[in-house]
Amino acid sequence: MSDKTQKHRVVHRRSDTFVKKQLTKIWQEQPSTSNPYIAESARCYGYDLLELMQHRSYVEVLYLLFQGDLPSVDQTKLLEELLIAFINPGPRHPATRAAMNAGIGKTDPAHILPISLSILGGSHLGAGEIEGAMRFLRKSSKKSADQVATELINKSIKPKEGDWHIAPGFGNRFGGRDEVSQKIASQLLTSPGSGPILAWGSAFADAIKDFDMGWLTTGVVAAALADLRFQPRAGGGFFQLISAPGLLAHGLELANKPFTAMPFPTDEDYIIE
Amino acid sequence: MSKNKKAPNTQLFDQYRGTIRSRTGGWFPGQGVFCHGYNMMEDLVGKNSYFQVMILNATGRLVERRLADWVEAAQICLSWPDPRIWCNCIGALGGTMRSSVVAATVAGILAADSKAYGQKTLTEGVRFIQGALADYKNGISPQQIVSTECARFGGKPTIMGYARPLAKGDERVEAMERVTTALGFEDGEHLSLAYQIEQLLLSEHNESMNINGYASAFLSDQGFSPEEVYRIFTILVTSGVTACYIDTLERPPETFLPLRCDDIDYQGPQPRDIPDRT
Repeated sequence: MSDKTQKHRVVHRRSDTFVKKQLTKIWQEQPSTSNPYIAESARCYGYDLLELMQHRSYVEVLYLLFQGDLPSVDQTKLLEELLIAFINPGPRHPATRAAMNAGIGKTDPAHILPISLSILGGSHLGAGEIEGAMRFLRKSSKKSADQVATELINKSIKPKEGDWHIAPGFGNRFGGRDEVSQKIASQLLTSPGSGPILAWGSAFADAIKDFDMGWLTTGVVAAALADLRFQPRAGGGFFQLISAPGLLAHGLELANKPFTAMPFPTDEDYIIE
Repeated sequence: MSKNKKAPNTQLFDQYRGTIRSRTGGWFPGQGVFCHGYNMMEDLVGKNSYFQVMILNATGRLVERRLADWVEAAQICLSWPDPRIWCNCIGALGGTMRSSVVAATVAGILAADSKAYGQKTLTEGVRFIQGALADYKNGISPQQIVSTECARFGGKPTIMGYARPLAKGDERVEAMERVTTALGFEDGEHLSLAYQIEQLLLSEHNESMNINGYASAFLSDQGFSPEEVYRIFTILVTSGVTACYIDTLERPPETFLPLRCDDIDYQGPQPRDIPDRT
């Protein structure tokens, strides 16, 4: 180490300029006249919270919170259908099983959601796949679905083992097409708020049908969110939010049950390779 | 496009259904606990350090004690109790909200799974120096390596492992250099190249190697891959986050940087009436 390097081990603070106050465009709290730490009213993007409670649905305020404006009737309908469609990943999903493990393990119930949502953050059928799926859909929908499918089939290498996601949000699950996802996508397509991305995704799912591939849950959510004008970066977290109720419900279902209420593989079924 | 209309093959999943296959180990009551081929109670407990076993579980390699000691020292360097650091701040917020110490600490660890700081940045740091050494062995000079990397970021010295946010210089490098020497390690080819890169960055941008760059190069010399280093340092920030949690836990709730309403700079729409649905 040279003297010059030695000299630079000495630490100097950089002259970064930080904001003096936290900025936000989302939420405004009016201080109480008697206590500046207490809010006497709150507004979301300019709308009074109490008025929103009286005049708008939860789904509309959810959209407002993320987009800055209230949704149209058609957008509200599409978002509500999406929230119902993916409200529960189901008891076989790894994230739900994580919730169930927390429940049966007598974990603090307040930890069930953070635990299961962390698992749902994964890049395989989880939040980690949504952003990529949204970017794929937004970029690829400028070309024909058949053309994109042909290009991907020809250039992609099928994994030696396990499922093949030919593109984020599309592929097979357990070796076959995820039939419920196809049906959900078809139903969302009939919603008046659905747009060009869901339509393109359906055409793409049809184009890869002969390879036992199609929509995956993540693809459907990504397409609907793209049609609802969500930014890709918001997609993963929003997917977690959509699925949270089912995860929590399954975890709580087991919270008062004994350890024996969940299968525990025998030593014979535990193989060290 | 060729078509494949075979029935879906579920053989792989059928093979795993109802059976756990482990390449790691397991507990068999009455027989013992096995960990990467070692009998945990007979081979590991009392004979190896916690960090040796942690590295074993992260990589499958039972490393020598001095290397585990080096990693332990690096983890000390990489986590300290200042709640202004983003992950530590989350620990402090957990304390002020009376979260459990585990929830707050895990939340802080999760926060450091970031592309800007924390354990994940080591992946990029290791990838950079290993790629740079491969280039160097193919005849590309350190100067070309630095120029190419800086060019990716508009000429700025944005190379993972060099420069750092908030401050210039890094006192942790010197501390770890002392540890390296005390443990009897020699500088390897990755670390030697890292010093050459540092010299260029110092002369051209007045920026030096940071602890990420030093650890990435040293651990590359020890034969670890980027993913292995990421796994070894999974709980990197633990102790600092816990310390910040405890500090605020032991004060009244919501006294950690409490905010008045006017401490928020609201820049959104002004008050407006809810419109009719359209």
